[in-house]
Amino acid sequence: MDRADIAKTLKSPANWGQKYSLWAVYFCTGCGVIEIPPVITSRWDAERFGVLPMATPRQGNLFLITGYVSLKTMGAIIRTYDQMPDPKYVVGFGSCPVNGGMYWDSYNTIKHLDKYLPVDGWIAGCMPRPEAIFVAVVHLWQMIDKGMATGYQKYKENYEYYERNQREILPHLPKFAGEKTEAVGQTL
Amino acid sequence: MVQQVISMIVLPVIALVIAVFFLGLSRKITARIHRRHGPPLYQPLIDVVKLLTQKENISHGTIFDLGIVLSVAGGLATILFIPAGGLHPLSSSGDFLVVLYLMLLSPLGLALAAGASENPNASIGVSRKFILALGYEVPFLLAALAVMVHFRTTSLVEIVSLQRESLLNWSVFTLPLPALATFLVLPAMLSIRPFDFAGAPQEVASGPLVELGGKYLAFAAIQGALHTYIVLAIFVDLYLGGGANILTFFLKMLAVFFIGVCINGVMPRFRVKQALIYLWKWPAIIAFAGLVIVMWTSR
Amino acid sequence: MSGQTAFTLILPIAFGSAAVVYLSGKISAALRNFLAVFFAAVPLVLLTALYGYTGKIVYYDLSFLNQSLILRIDAFAWYFASAVALIDFLAIVFSLRYMEDKKQLDFYYFAMLLVNAGMLGIVLSGDLLSFFMFWEIMSWITYLLISYKGGKAVAAALKYMIMSIMGSCAMLLALGSLYSTCGTFDISGVAEGMSSATPGYRLFILLLMIFSFGIKNAIVPVHVWLPDAHSEAVSPFSAVLSGVLVRMGIYGFLLVMFVLVRWNAVLELRILGLLDFHLVFCWIGAITIVVPTFIALLQDDAKRLLAWHGIGQGGYMVLGIGLGTSMGIAGGVFHTLNHATYIALLFMVVGAVEYRTNGVRDLNELGGLAKKMPITFIGGLTGILGLIGVPLTNGFVSKWLIYKSLVMNERPLLAFAALIGTWGTILSVFKFLHHIFLGQLPQKYNNVKEAPFSMRFSIITLSLVIFLFGIFPGLPLTVISAMLDSFGIIPLNPTLFGVPSTLGELNTITILAAVLAMMVIGYAVFAWARKARRTDQFDSYGAGAYVPVNRYQYSVRFYERAYEVIGPYIRDRIDEFYIWFVEKAEGFFDTARKIYTGNVNSSTAYIVFLLAVLVILKMWGRF
Repeated sequence: MDRADIAKTLKSPANWGQKYSLWAVYFCTGCGVIEIPPVITSRWDAERFGVLPMATPRQGNLFLITGYVSLKTMGAIIRTYDQMPDPKYVVGFGSCPVNGGMYWDSYNTIKHLDKYLPVDGWIAGCMPRPEAIFVAVVHLWQMIDKGMATGYQKYKENYEYYERNQREILPHLPKFAGEKTEAVGQTL
Repeated sequence: MVQQVISMIVLPVIALVIAVFFLGLSRKITARIHRRHGPPLYQPLIDVVKLLTQKENISHGTIFDLGIVLSVAGGLATILFIPAGGLHPLSSSGDFLVVLYLMLLSPLGLALAAGASENPNASIGVSRKFILALGYEVPFLLAALAVMVHFRTTSLVEIVSLQRESLLNWSVFTLPLPALATFLVLPAMLSIRPFDFAGAPQEVASGPLVELGGKYLAFAAIQGALHTYIVLAIFVDLYLGGGANILTFFLKMLAVFFIGVCINGVMPRFRVKQALIYLWKWPAIIAFAGLVIVMWTSR
Repeated sequence: MSGQTAFTLILPIAFGSAAVVYLSGKISAALRNFLAVFFAAVPLVLLTALYGYTGKIVYYDLSFLNQSLILRIDAFAWYFASAVALIDFLAIVFSLRYMEDKKQLDFYYFAMLLVNAGMLGIVLSGDLLSFFMFWEIMSWITYLLISYKGGKAVAAALKYMIMSIMGSCAMLLALGSLYSTCGTFDISGVAEGMSSATPGYRLFILLLMIFSFGIKNAIVPVHVWLPDAHSEAVSPFSAVLSGVLVRMGIYGFLLVMFVLVRWNAVLELRILGLLDFHLVFCWIGAITIVVPTFIALLQDDAKRLLAWHGIGQGGYMVLGIGLGTSMGIAGGVFHTLNHATYIALLFMVVGAVEYRTNGVRDLNELGGLAKKMPITFIGGLTGILGLIGVPLTNGFVSKWLIYKSLVMNERPLLAFAALIGTWGTILSVFKFLHHIFLGQLPQKYNNVKEAPFSMRFSIITLSLVIFLFGIFPGLPLTVISAMLDSFGIIPLNPTLFGVPSTLGELNTITILAAVLAMMVIGYAVFAWARKARRTDQFDSYGAGAYVPVNRYQYSVRFYERAYEVIGPYIRDRIDEFYIWFVEKAEGFFDTARKIYTGNVNSSTAYIVFLLAVLVILKMWGRF
C-alpha cells in the first residue's frame, strides 16, 4: 500500500483518490452479499482500506455484483450502474456472475455478466472469504495504477454491444422505451 | 488593518484544516471504539480529492449547483464572525445574533440543492433536518439567552473576554444549567448519533445527499465539517471561555469533540418523534431553569 | 414641483382617479388598465417629491362644530404613505394579467384605487374625524373586495366585516370621548388635552383604541378573520391586504401610543395596578408570534399558510413597539415595511402560480415548478429569505433590532418567543417553497410557462427592494429615526449599513462582502472540477427502479413527526371559542325572538302584564 507515498501521490492525485477511497454501492444483488457485512464490520474492517458502503449509486464508484444475478435484478443492476458517475469499477463477486455458478442451468439467471456490463475483475468462490475481497481490492489498486481498470470507458465505446445484449434479455426495460428515462445516452 | 486582512485569509484556512481533521479523527476514534483499526487520519483528504477529481459529475440544474456552492460559502462566511482564540476579523460587523442567522445560509443551501434533486428521499431528509433543528433550538436558545443576559452583551468577543480572568469564570462553572442543557443537545446540533436520522443511509438513502456525487458530495462533506467547526466554536466561546490563542481554542474544541465522538460511537439512532420529545423535555427544562435563575440574580 | 403643491394634489388625485378609472372602463378595457396603472403611480411620484417635507392643510371647515378637517404630513405619515403607495402600485400592475378573465373589472380597479386613496387618507389625516372617515371608507371597500370572488369569499368577508365594525364602534366611542374631553379633533390638540388627563382615562382610551386597531392588525385574540379573508381574496388584493391594510393597525398603535398619549405617559400605566401596560402589550405580541407561526406549519393551502404568517409577523411589530426603546420601536416600524414587501411578494408568487396552473394553490398538488417558472421561483426564494430574516435581507435588520433591544433590556423570555417564532417560520416557509417549486414536476404542469411580464415586474421589483433595504438599511432607518425624533424618543442615528457601534455590531456591507467573497471562492473551486452533466427528474435515485412518474414527490404531511408532537396543542382555539359563542348566542337570540309571535292577543297580554307590574311596584312605593 503506497497511500503515504507523497511523490507518487503528487504525480497523479486522481489515481490516489480513486484507489484509496473506493466507495461500494451497498446494493445487495444476490445471496453473496451475506459475506459483505463481516467485511465492513469490526473483524475484517474494510474501512482501513478506504472501502465504505454507500447508500446510493451517485455516491459510489465500486459496484460489487454479489452472487447470482436473476433477470429481475439485472434490470436494477443496469439502472444502478447507469446512475453511477465515472470512473466506476464493477467486480463480479462469486462464481455465479462468472459462468452461472451453482445456477448454471437455471432459466432465470444470467450466466455471463460480461455480456451486459463491463466487469473489471472477478472473485471466484461460493462464497469468497473476506480475505479474498481484500486481495481483490489490492488487485484493483494495481489495475488503476497501470490504467487497466477501464471498464467504464469500454462501456461507453461499445455501448451498442451492451445495449443489444441488455435488450435481448430485458426488452421491456423503461430505458429502452423513450427519452424520459435514458441517462447514458446523453454522454455519447 | 493589515492584521485584520491576514486573519480574514488565515482563519478560513485554519477552520477548513481543523474541520477536515475532525472528520478523520472521528472516523479513527469511532473505529477504535469498535475495536478495529480504522482509516488513517488523512482519509477525508483522500475522499475529497477523489470526489473533486471525479471524471463525471451529475447535476440537476442551476439551483442544484448554486445551492451546493452556497452551503460551503455560507459556512466559510460565518466562520469569519466567530472568535477563534484571538482571530475574529469581522466580529465588529456582526454579533452573536448575526452569527445565529448567518449559520442558516449553509443548511439552506443544502436544502435547496436537496429540493432540486427531485427525489423524495432528499425531501424527507430535509424535513427531518428541520424538525431536528426546531427541536434543539428550543433548549439552545434558552441557554444562549441566559448567557447573553448574564453577560449583558450579544457580542461573542465580549463574552469570551469576560470569561478570561480565571478558570472559574468559565460559563460552564458560573452558569452550569445552561451549559449542561447545551451539552445535552450538542449531539443534535452536530447531527451525530443518536440524532443523525436526517442523513441516515439505511432509512432515507442518505437524505439530502441522495443525488449528490462527485464534486457536489465533496462540497457537502466540507459543509458538514464546517458546520461541526461552527457549532463547536460557538460552544467553546459561550461556555468554555474561548481561547487565549488558536492552540488553546483548538484543544478545547478537541476535548468537546472527543466526548461527542464517544457518544456517537456507542449510541444507536433515535426515531424522529423520540428525538423531538427528548429535546423539548429535559434539556429545555434545564435551560429554562438556568434562564430563570439568571433573570432572578440579575435583578 | 414644490412640496406644498404635491401635498395638496395627492388625495384629490387618489380619490378622483378611482372615479375616472371606473368611468373609463365603460369606454375601453385597455384605457382603463392604462389609467389604473398611471394613477396608481402618481401618488408614488408625488410622495418622492414630498420626502422631508412637513406641512398641514385644512381642507374642510365644519363651522357648526368649530372644527376643521386637516391633512398633515411628517416623517411618520410619509413612511406609511410610501409603503401604501408602493405596494398598491405593484399590486395593480400585477392585476393587469391576473384579473384579465374575471368579471366586473371596472369595479375592481375602482375599488383598488379607492382602497389606496382611503389608506393614504388615513395616514395623512391630521385630525381624528378625517382619520375615522377614511378608516371607514377603507374598511367598507375591503369588504367588497374580499367578497369579490363570491362563494366562500362572501362568508370570509362577512366575518371580517363584523369584526371590523366592532373595532370601528370602539374607535367611535373613543373619538367621542376624546372630543368631549379635549374639545377638538385635531391631533396636536388632542395630544395637548391628553397630557393633562388622568392615567385611568388614558388607559381607557388606549384600551379602546388598541381593541380597534388590534382587530385590524389581527393580534391574538382578535385575529380570527384574517386566515379566511386572505385566502379567499384574489391574490393581488391579498398582497395589499396583508401587506399594508392590516398595518394600518400598526399606524394606529403608533398614533395613539406615541402621538396622542406620549410614551412616557404610557410607560406609567398599569393594569389593575399590577402589570405594566406596555409589557402586557409586548406579551400579546409574543403570543401572536408563536402560536400563529406554528399553526402556519400545519397548513396545506398556500394562501392560508401566508395568511397565518401575516398574523405572526404582526406580533413582531407589536413586540418591538411595545418595548419602547429606540432600537425596539425602530425594529417594529421597520418590520412593518419589510413585512409589506415580502408578504406582498409571496402572495404575488402564489398568484402567478395560480394564474399559470388554472387556480391551483393546494401545496400537495404542486411541485417542481422552479424549472418552468424560474423568475417566480427567485421571487419566492427572496420572499422566504426575507420572511425568515436571513442576513442581507431587510427582514434580518428589523428582526435584529428587535432581538438586540430585547436582549439588552433583559427580556429573555420575549426574546425567546421572537427567536423561536423565526424557527417556526423557517420550517413553514421552506415547506411553502419546496412544495411549489422544488421536487418533481407533475406531468400535467409540463406546459406551464413563466409568469407574464406585468407579474414578473412586480415580483422582481419587490425582490430588489428586499435586498436593497437589507444591504443599505440606513436608507429607511433614517426616515424611521426622524419619526422617532418626532415622537420624543431618542433617535437611532443609523449609518448607511447598520447601527452605530455604540448600539451594537451590525454592518451589512461587510456581511455582503464576506458572503460574496466566499461564493466566488467556492464557485471557483466548483468550476475547476469537471463540468457536470445535466440530468432530468426521471433519472433520480429509485433504488434500482425507475422513477414512478407523478408519484415521486414527498409533499403530504411534510413534517409528520412534528405534527404528531405539536398538532394536538396547536389549534386555533380562539376561533373555535368565537364560533361556539356565536352558535350559543344564535340559539339564545332564536329563543328570544319567539317573544314576537306576531299575534295581537299576546302583544296585548304583554302590555297588560307590564302595566300590572308597574302598578304593583307603584303601590309598594318603589317609584
